[in-house]
Amino acid sequence: MINSEIINELENVVGENYISDEPEMQYLYHYDFITAEPEGICDVVIMPDTAEEVQKIIKIANLHKIPVVPWVSGINFGATANPIKGGIVMDLRRLNRIIDVNEDDMYALIEGGTTWADLQGYLQKHHPNLRAGVTWSPPGTGVVASCLCYGMFDLGMLGGTGAEFINGLEAVLGSGELVKVGSCCLSDCWYGRQPLPDLAGLFIGWEGSTGVVTKAAVKLWPKLPFIKHYLALAPTMDIGVPVTLKLSKIGLGICDIVIQNYGWLQSSLGANEKKVPIDPIEKKLPDFAAFITTQAYTEKQHEAQCEAIDMVLKEGKLVEAPGVNADDYIDIKPIQLWGCWNFSRGGGGQWIGSYCSTRDIATYYNLARDVALKHGHAPQFYSRILFGGHYCVARTNINFNKNDPKEIESARQVLKEIHEEVQSLDGVVMYKAPEWAHQVYKDKTLPATSELIQKIKKLLDPNNIMNPGHGWVKGE
Amino acid sequence: MDGLKENKEEYHMAKKIRYMKGMGIEKIASTQEDHVVERNQGIEHYKDIVFQCGKCGTCRTVFQDVNWARVCPSGEFGKFEAYYLGGKNLLAWALTSGKLKWTENLAKIFYKCSVCLACTQQCQIPELHNYAGEWLMAMRESAVENGFGPMPEHKQYTQYVEDLHNPYGEKHENRRDWLPKDINQNSESTLAYFVGCTASYREKDIALSTVNILNSLNIEFRVLENESCYGSPVYMTGQSNKAKAIAESNVDEFKAANIEKVITSCAGCYRALKEVYPKKFGIKHGIEIVHLPEFISKKLKEGSLQFKKDIDMKVTYHDPCHIGRHMGMYKEPRTVLENIPGLELVEMDRNKHNAWCCGSGGGVRSAFKDLAEFSARERIDEAIDTKAMAIVSSCPFCLNQLKTNIKDEEIRAYDISQLIEKAI
Repeated sequence: MINSEIINELENVVGENYISDEPEMQYLYHYDFITAEPEGICDVVIMPDTAEEVQKIIKIANLHKIPVVPWVSGINFGATANPIKGGIVMDLRRLNRIIDVNEDDMYALIEGGTTWADLQGYLQKHHPNLRAGVTWSPPGTGVVASCLCYGMFDLGMLGGTGAEFINGLEAVLGSGELVKVGSCCLSDCWYGRQPLPDLAGLFIGWEGSTGVVTKAAVKLWPKLPFIKHYLALAPTMDIGVPVTLKLSKIGLGICDIVIQNYGWLQSSLGANEKKVPIDPIEKKLPDFAAFITTQAYTEKQHEAQCEAIDMVLKEGKLVEAPGVNADDYIDIKPIQLWGCWNFSRGGGGQWIGSYCSTRDIATYYNLARDVALKHGHAPQFYSRILFGGHYCVARTNINFNKNDPKEIESARQVLKEIHEEVQSLDGVVMYKAPEWAHQVYKDKTLPATSELIQKIKKLLDPNNIMNPGHGWVKGE
Repeated sequence: MDGLKENKEEYHMAKKIRYMKGMGIEKIASTQEDHVVERNQGIEHYKDIVFQCGKCGTCRTVFQDVNWARVCPSGEFGKFEAYYLGGKNLLAWALTSGKLKWTENLAKIFYKCSVCLACTQQCQIPELHNYAGEWLMAMRESAVENGFGPMPEHKQYTQYVEDLHNPYGEKHENRRDWLPKDINQNSESTLAYFVGCTASYREKDIALSTVNILNSLNIEFRVLENESCYGSPVYMTGQSNKAKAIAESNVDEFKAANIEKVITSCAGCYRALKEVYPKKFGIKHGIEIVHLPEFISKKLKEGSLQFKKDIDMKVTYHDPCHIGRHMGMYKEPRTVLENIPGLELVEMDRNKHNAWCCGSGGGVRSAFKDLAEFSARERIDEAIDTKAMAIVSSCPFCLNQLKTNIKDEEIRAYDISQLIEKAI
C-alpha cells in the first residue's frame, strides 16, 4: 500500500531520522499494548517537527489515500490510536514545545505532542505559582490528546473536563489546511473560545478523525496556599455517594472529588489482586472511598471550609481513614497507573469509561459490579464529579493478562456486558469509545444528528484518511 | 544493582504510599514486596515479565522529581519508542513470543543504549523498576548467541582485549608505563591497586594520583605486573562467555599473587569485580573490592584521614552509572568532596539515581559516536548551568568522555582521585 516512492516523499518532509518502516518500529506502533481491542497495522511511522510538516504529510496521504493516525503515547483505555486500517502513524512527540505561558490570562500555549511530564516540569521550573489540572494517566501521555478526548483532571470540580480546559486550537484538517479556532484566530491572544462560532468542537471528541491538533492553549490555575486532601470512607457506594454529591454542590473551595470503590483503591495502592477479596462487601470491608480536595487563599477561609466539609461528612456518617495522610496519595500525579496494569499481573486493562448523570453513580457501580463478580473479576470503579457537581465520569476497569488470548477474549466479553448493562441508565455515554460502542450511540441518536456529524467529517476529511475505524464516522 | 534492591528508599512509590490501617482496610502485601525478580538470567527467564509494560512513557522522565526532566540518552537521541525502555520491553516480548525475529536493526536498537539504567529508576511497575537492566543485558546476550551482536566496533575491541589485554589496541608491555619508579610498592602486599585499561593508557593522571594517595597514606600495596582488562566492555556488549573467561583469568592472577583486597579507581572495574564476577559468572573470588572514594570516605569517617590543603573551587559531581545506579554508591564520593577544605560541591539537577549518563558506557562510545557525543554534551551543559568550575567524576571512562567533548575550556574536568591527591 505504501511503496518506496511514497516513503521517499515522506522522508523528504521530515528527514531520514524521523521516519521508519522497519518491522521493529512498525511493531511498536501497531497497537496500544494495553487494551483488549483488535490490533492494527502500522505501515510507516513518521515524526513531524512543525505544523507545516504535518500539513505536507497529510497532503501526501490525501494524494495516495493513505490513512493517518495521530499518536502521542498511543495509550488510552479506549484503544483510539490503534491503526486498525493501517497506514501512517504520525507520532507527535517532537511537537512538544511549551510556546508560552500567559500569567495574566492563566493559560499555557503548547504543541500537540506535549506530555504531562513536559507541562508539569515546565510549570514547576518557570511558573511555580501556577498549576495545570493533572490527570491520573502516566506522565508520558499527551496533554492536548487528553483534553480532546474528554480526559479529566484534579481540578475537574472547577473546570469540568479537559475539553473545557481548552481555550483555542491550531489544527491541520484532514484536507491538509491549517486552521485556528478561538480568540487566537484573530490575534496572538489565546484567552478563550468566545465570541465567534466555537469551532473547537470540530476536534473535541472526534478521536483524531478530523485532523491533527498542532497547538492548543490550556487553562492554568493559581496555586493557593492552603490545601487539604480528605480520604473519607463508607461501607457502600449507596451511603457514600449522596454525601459527596452534596459536597460537590455547595462550593467550600472544593476543586476535586474522586470516588473509588475498594477494588480501585487497592489497585491504585499497588495491592496484589490475589490478596484482595474479590467482593469487599461480603467481607464487610468499606466499598466506598472519596478523595476530596479543598483549597483556600487565607487560613481563616480554609478553616471555615474544612469545618463545613467535616460537618457534611459527619452528618453523612463518612469517616476519614485514620492514620492516613491523604497527601501522600493525592500529590503523586501524574502517575504511572501501575495499579491498573499490575493488579491482575499481566499488563492488560480496559474500561467502560462513561459520562453520566450524577444521580446514577451508585447504580452504575452496582450494575458493573454484578457483571464483574459474575465473571470472577474484582470490581474496580472510579467516578469523578465535575464542574461544581453538574455531571460526572463513571468508569469501571477490567484487568487481564495481555499475553493470554483466552483472558483477552474474556475481558472483551465482560466489557461488552458491562456496557450493555449501564446502557439501561439514561445518558450513559462512553468517551474514548471503541467502534462497537459508537455503533450503540448511532442507533440511539436522531438520524439528523448522525448525518450532521457525517457531513462535518466529510467536509474536514474528504478522503476519510484521518484515523479511520475510530470515532463516530467509522471511515473505510 | 543489588545495592539498589536493598535500598528501600529507592522505591519511590513504596515511600510515598501508605497502607490503610483500621476501618477494615488492612495492610495487604504490595506487588513490590511480592515480586522479586531473579537477576542475571537469560532472556527466556524474563519472557513472562516484559509484557507487564504498556510503554506508558514513565521511564522517559524523572518520576515526580527534578521537574520531570528527561533521563534517557538513547530515547532522546533516537526519538522513536524503540529507543526508550518501554519500546525495548515490548520488543523483548515480541522476540520471546515469536512475533519478531532477530535482525540487524533489532540488535542495533538494543546496542544503541549505554545501559545506564536511568529508565529503570523511573518505571514504577514492580517487576520492571530496578530490574529492567537484566533483560537489556539478556537481549544483548541473545543477539550474540544468534549472530546479530555485538557491533563490529565491539568485535574489534574484544579482539584487542583477547590479544593485548586492553580494548585500546595498546601494547600490553606498556601498560605500566605510567608508574614512576619512586612509588613505594610492596611486592608481597595482599592489597592490589587495580588500575584498569583507561587509567593505564588514556587517563594516566588518575593512576598516578591514586598511587600517590596510597603512598601518602602509607598504605602497602602493589600494582600487579600482569594486570589485564577486567572484561566489562566485553560483558556489557553481551559477550558473556568471553567475559567470563577473562574474569576467570583475572581471578587466577589475583589468587596466584595472594591478593586479598583490591582498590580500584575505575567504576567499571569496581562493578565487574564486585558484582559481575560473583553474581553473573559465579566466580566466588572472596577478594574484598573497594572503590577509591569508598576507601577514602571510610578513612575520613574513622578520623584516620583529614584533608589538609585547601582547594578553592566550585565543583559538581557526575555520578558514573557503574557505581551509581548499578551499585548504589552515591554518598561516598560526595563525602570525600565535602571534606575537602575550600571546595564547594553543587549538584546538577539530575543527580544520584537520576543522573544523566555521560554516554560512554555499554559499548556506545565505540559503536555509536553520535549518540555518545549527544549524551556528553547534555551532561556538560548541565554541569555548566551549575556555574561550577569543574565537573568531577570517579570513573576514568566518564572523565575521558567528558574531556573529549568539552569545548574551548568551557569547564574543567577531574577525576576525584586528582582532587584527593591535591587535598592530602
